[in-house]
Amino acid sequence: MIFIGSARTGFWPRALAVFAYGLPIIAIAVPLLSFLTYSFFRVDKGEIVRDLSLLNYQRFFTDAIFLPVLWQTCVLCLAVAGLATMIGYPVAFQLVNLKGRSRYFLLLLVLVPLLMSYIIKIYAIRSILGGNGFLNRFLLWAGLISEPSSLFVFNLNAVLLTLTILLIPFAILPIFLSLERIPKSMIEASNDLGASNLQTFRWIVLPLSVPGIMTAATFVFVLAIGDFLTPQMVGGQSGFTFGRIVYSQFGTAFNWPFGSALATILAMVIVAVIAIGNRLERRWL
Amino acid sequence: MTMKINRRTALGLALAAPAILRSTRAFAAKELRVMAWQGYADDDWIKEFQDHTGATAKVVFIGTDDEIWAKIKGSEGKDFDVFAVNTAQLQRYIDGNLTTPHDLAKLPNQREVLPRFQDLTKVKGVMRHGKVHSIPFCFDSIGLIYDKDKVNPPPDSFEILWDPKYKGKILAYDNGEHNFSFTALTLGIEDPFHLTDEQMAKVKDKLIALKKNVLSFYTTPDEALQLYKNNDVALIWANYGQQQVKAMKDAGANIEYVNPKEGALAWLDTWAMTSGVRDVDLAEAWVNFLLQAKIGRQLSERTGFGNTVVETGSAGANDKLVWLDFVEDPTKRSDLWNEIKAQP
Repeated sequence: MIFIGSARTGFWPRALAVFAYGLPIIAIAVPLLSFLTYSFFRVDKGEIVRDLSLLNYQRFFTDAIFLPVLWQTCVLCLAVAGLATMIGYPVAFQLVNLKGRSRYFLLLLVLVPLLMSYIIKIYAIRSILGGNGFLNRFLLWAGLISEPSSLFVFNLNAVLLTLTILLIPFAILPIFLSLERIPKSMIEASNDLGASNLQTFRWIVLPLSVPGIMTAATFVFVLAIGDFLTPQMVGGQSGFTFGRIVYSQFGTAFNWPFGSALATILAMVIVAVIAIGNRLERRWL
Repeated sequence: MTMKINRRTALGLALAAPAILRSTRAFAAKELRVMAWQGYADDDWIKEFQDHTGATAKVVFIGTDDEIWAKIKGSEGKDFDVFAVNTAQLQRYIDGNLTTPHDLAKLPNQREVLPRFQDLTKVKGVMRHGKVHSIPFCFDSIGLIYDKDKVNPPPDSFEILWDPKYKGKILAYDNGEHNFSFTALTLGIEDPFHLTDEQMAKVKDKLIALKKNVLSFYTTPDEALQLYKNNDVALIWANYGQQQVKAMKDAGANIEYVNPKEGALAWLDTWAMTSGVRDVDLAEAWVNFLLQAKIGRQLSERTGFGNTVVETGSAGANDKLVWLDFVEDPTKRSDLWNEIKAQP
């Protein structure tokens, strides 16, 4: 609406429109479509054969390893989403209840880890979790355990913990926004009508923050399920996830078509999860 | 000392002088086009070679095997005179008639190399139909790193990786291809690069057992070092060989390196002449020049890799090395490796 009057005819508005539509098409839609196309190709003796077929998808459903790994990964990521949301909620709640500038200052502090490289964070967590890592040394020093525990060393628990820690900021933010949007008047009304703090929370605040919770959980789930680096770095020999299978198809296996098919399936799972999240969100309202 | 030139040395000098002069004049104003990996043609060597021959050496450094192929194949060998290539890759250049065989008579320094590299018929891959297509130059083995405080006596077999005593104290490498090869060697299979379906199944079972003994699979030397620092690690399957040993020793680790008796996988880089070599004598002079003990020693000091002239930590004189080759089906190995990792 900046170019009122000349919007239809000017060169610059048109160029801007081409740019505004063109960039997402080139940077997002085309790569996605090429992924989808590749998933119907196949590899023969190290060469990609460009015949369309459903072989890759057939292999996904018939081979014994892919479905169980996908399922296990989904369960893991659901747990990560649940944990991150449960930890994120009280933090967001506390932040919203702060007055004045300190609220946003502290929110900013929560988001600071996002400015740091992902890999550096994983490395740091790795030195905390290891057999002689900080956590074990601390527990030994505190006398809580008598020998290094392997409970959180290079297994699925470590992946769960690491992903949760890394993704908590993504849970806090949407919950914070949904809590902040609840009108003060509604809470005051609830108080005026004699509800206790707990009742107000249970019947007013919590239901109104459900959209935030669902967004947070979906966010975290989607980010966790696409992650192949964390399982690789802290998962040890048992932390094998679907992301790592996809990754291996593009690296060592050199089977791009099959990798694309797996990625497409993963994308469909993600779309389904987002849809379910949306559905749940509406049902609550 | 200066006055000590007796008749014999004088005679020697007199005889040698024309030869030296010839060698400096022979290649004046000529150019040698070299394609090499970083570290195989350092500036000081190039300068010395140029001073010695009078020719100029123009070096192009490459980053991947495929880049070498693209450049050599792309020009049908005409853009370069001599190039560095590993023995596995070399085969497709020979197949494509992209190499010119070496004349050992022009490589006197090849006679002085380590026993392992003396008889080139015993170095798999460098010869074909009785002709020497490339000259070994640089190599490294993939052995075992062990912590001297935790593993005693020193291991002599890969079997130690399956020893329940070290459960959760072992680091392995995250790559199906190599893991299948070295496990096949451990099982006593003759050709670890071409496994039958039956052998493949056996190796797979053995790798599933290995997985249960392993703390984690690493991908980079840095990663392995960090894992070693923060965990009780006793043994590492050292995909990065001496590079990894050096990094760990620099970090103060009390470790040692060994090539187990079943044979360690090893890569071997060689010098080959292209089919389009302009001046064979100059190209041979380059290879011969690099086969000096001094250069070999510097190569190993600077890169950490083994050279073919002077003994290094990469391999003892009696260690069995199995030169890497292309495997029967990389995709299949990778798929099986995924299956192994997906095992509960």
